[in-house]
Amino acid sequence: MSTVSQAEQFKQSFREEAREILVDLEAALLELNERRGDLELVGRVFRALHTIKGSGAMFGFEDLATFTHNLENAFDEVRNGRLAVGSELVDLTLSALDQIRAMLEEGADGALEADPAACAKILAGVRRLTGKPGVEAKRTAAPLKAACGTAPVNATGEMREWSIHFAPGPEFMLNGSNPLLLVRELRQLGDLAVTASMAGVPQLGELDPERCYVAWDMVLGTRAGPDAIRDVFIFVEDNCELTIEPASSSATDSESNPSGCASEIAARALDEPRASSGGRRNYDKADNAASLRVPAAKLDQFVNLVGELVTVQARLSELAARCDDPDVAAVSEEVERLTSSLRENSMNIRMLPIRATFEKFRRLVHDLARDLGKDVELTLEGADTELDKTVIDQLGDPLMHLIRNSMDHGIEPAATRASRGKRPTATIHLSARHSGASVLIGVSDDGGGIDAEAVRRRAIEKGLVAENVSLSEAETYALLFQAGFSTAKTVTDVSGRGVGMDVVRQRVDSLRGSIDVVSKAGVGTSVTLRLPLTLAIIDGLLVSVGEAFFVLPLANTLECIELTREDVERANGKQMANVRGELIPYIGLRQHFDIRTKRPAIEQIMVVETEQGRYGFVVDQVLGNCQTVIKNLGRFYRHVQVVSGATILGNGMVALILDPERLAQDAVRLNSQRSRGNYALGARSGRSRDSTIVKGIQGFAGAGE
Amino acid sequence: MGIALEQGDNSSVLRLDGEIDIACAAELKTLLLKALGAGGEVRVALDEATELDVTAVQLLWAAKREAGRAGVRFAFEGQTPEPVLSGLLLTGFEEFASTMDACKLSEVVRCQP
Repeated sequence: MSTVSQAEQFKQSFREEAREILVDLEAALLELNERRGDLELVGRVFRALHTIKGSGAMFGFEDLATFTHNLENAFDEVRNGRLAVGSELVDLTLSALDQIRAMLEEGADGALEADPAACAKILAGVRRLTGKPGVEAKRTAAPLKAACGTAPVNATGEMREWSIHFAPGPEFMLNGSNPLLLVRELRQLGDLAVTASMAGVPQLGELDPERCYVAWDMVLGTRAGPDAIRDVFIFVEDNCELTIEPASSSATDSESNPSGCASEIAARALDEPRASSGGRRNYDKADNAASLRVPAAKLDQFVNLVGELVTVQARLSELAARCDDPDVAAVSEEVERLTSSLRENSMNIRMLPIRATFEKFRRLVHDLARDLGKDVELTLEGADTELDKTVIDQLGDPLMHLIRNSMDHGIEPAATRASRGKRPTATIHLSARHSGASVLIGVSDDGGGIDAEAVRRRAIEKGLVAENVSLSEAETYALLFQAGFSTAKTVTDVSGRGVGMDVVRQRVDSLRGSIDVVSKAGVGTSVTLRLPLTLAIIDGLLVSVGEAFFVLPLANTLECIELTREDVERANGKQMANVRGELIPYIGLRQHFDIRTKRPAIEQIMVVETEQGRYGFVVDQVLGNCQTVIKNLGRFYRHVQVVSGATILGNGMVALILDPERLAQDAVRLNSQRSRGNYALGARSGRSRDSTIVKGIQGFAGAGE
Repeated sequence: MGIALEQGDNSSVLRLDGEIDIACAAELKTLLLKALGAGGEVRVALDEATELDVTAVQLLWAAKREAGRAGVRFAFEGQTPEPVLSGLLLTGFEEFASTMDACKLSEVVRCQP
């Protein structure tokens, strides 16, 4: 490994870690804005800034470290009760985070670049608030100075001597940490006498060249408090032995405690409650490697390989069934069991809570509320709901547009809210919950609601619907997601161009999801995105109609019942099945996809749970469970709504993965349109389109046989 | 940038160039063992080095200790750059640094705050 690539690798690790810290920092700042006296939040902000500064300096981001150091100082003033949290400090720090983010990306692939003028303005603001000169980064044209003298001071501000023992652990260097930089950083706190002990260095032949065997004993004379000393080691303390104790009392205490519980001695001497964080660390503890940071691309590659394995395993099962050899069958079953576990495990690795995505909108709501002069709070629900990383990655933009739209158009000005007897503080509520094989992401507001009549008028103006057509509520709201559609009278910086909602629809469509809008005038609007939990592999139930194969997601499937010709005749043309006294509507897949093969005497109804209630799908045969690797159908079939993808079966045939929600919605929509006797302009029955795709794909698969 | 070993009849010269850190620690160990194994005098030239990290220091220190035990001469030759020396002094390797370049070291020590 070359020097350059390793250094760049460490930098990249730092960037990734810093990005996560910045997300947490932003959330903490916004919370602090709400609860200004919360010292725990102040501590969280301080520690995050300190970590970014310390790690930044270690990995060569000197400007970033110096810039952050000023903010850290400001929050130390807050910590020590010398500065109060106000909106100016919060806003300055939030702006500073944007600059830190940009500094982080400089030199990487990102197109961001920090703005020197903005940095200087932020530092000037911090100086004004703290009344301290501060330290300027190179980019603000002042020389980079040592941080000496600006470090957090002890309660009395007296010069004290501290005895520090620091011994890096075995993994210390491999994490990209550099003990020499820590010693140098410590030197910035005051006068440091330092001795490196080489006693632990083994024979050259036995020496692991990538491990640090040196330990340091230091005496530091400083006005800085114990927190400041401990903070130097904050990001390595889990991987080193560290003792910090007052130099004058150390000898006596150590002698009277032969057991060597140095951390406790230090903590008692410092009168600090945080004994564990500053004291001796057992770096060999078992949870050192409890989690690993793995590039997402590697994980995607892993999941793709598991997908390939699942497909090959299906072929093996097919072969075993044809061989009629019990030994082959036993091996095939074992491979199937292992593949299934491997698939489940690999998919679980890629599942992430949606919290981080939700949290980042706190900043958007805060900034937009300030810009629009509205008082808005963001509330979260179900933020720990997990979904596939690939789905999460694509959720940011749609959610941003929905929130911007709610803030700009949904939430009324303060005066209007007051006249309607509403709380002055409006709410945007983000929620997530699982529903079968889907996840429901909700964005709701307690604003003025959508003016359905205005939407309809605008749609007529734009020629999207005919004047004499009556539209259901759902059909009306669906118009909002058409390209270029906007009811806004003026275009603002925030929204009104009719682009945002179109982006939402496109992104949700590409994820094979659906959008549901509920709105009540004067009360608010709720938009729910239904998205698949994963885009990779699902458990499915394989069924057939004629020569066509379909997969129904197992998570939605409840049971299977028989449908005889007598049952059909008894129903008098109504497509309803009586299941233990409950009437369940059903859809014949043969009719829906126009499959012209002979109908068997007994068909099967697969009963599935959908948002529209229970629905039955009539098929010829149920072939059994199958692990389904979802393959995208590609752009050519992007308008086909009821199919969420395709999969390759063990026999090489292609099976279409049905979307029960869309099928049920389709059925409801068609029934409703039929009963009203009209169709919206541009709305077409999806059936002919759906049947074309089935024939196209299944025919293609057949030709390949 | 890197490490080069020049071996003569009775001596080996190890030239360290640029930043000598964990990235080249394994290579440094191999070459030190090779130089010591040759049996003759071992000289380490640090003229072109810009920084030694802790992995380099402990390897050189272990090699020097082993040479001493085996009665092999191990010395640093040429002028060790000031940043390398001051870096060692600031981080507590005064004893090790004192074996490098006595004249230069005394200047550095005088400059220390």
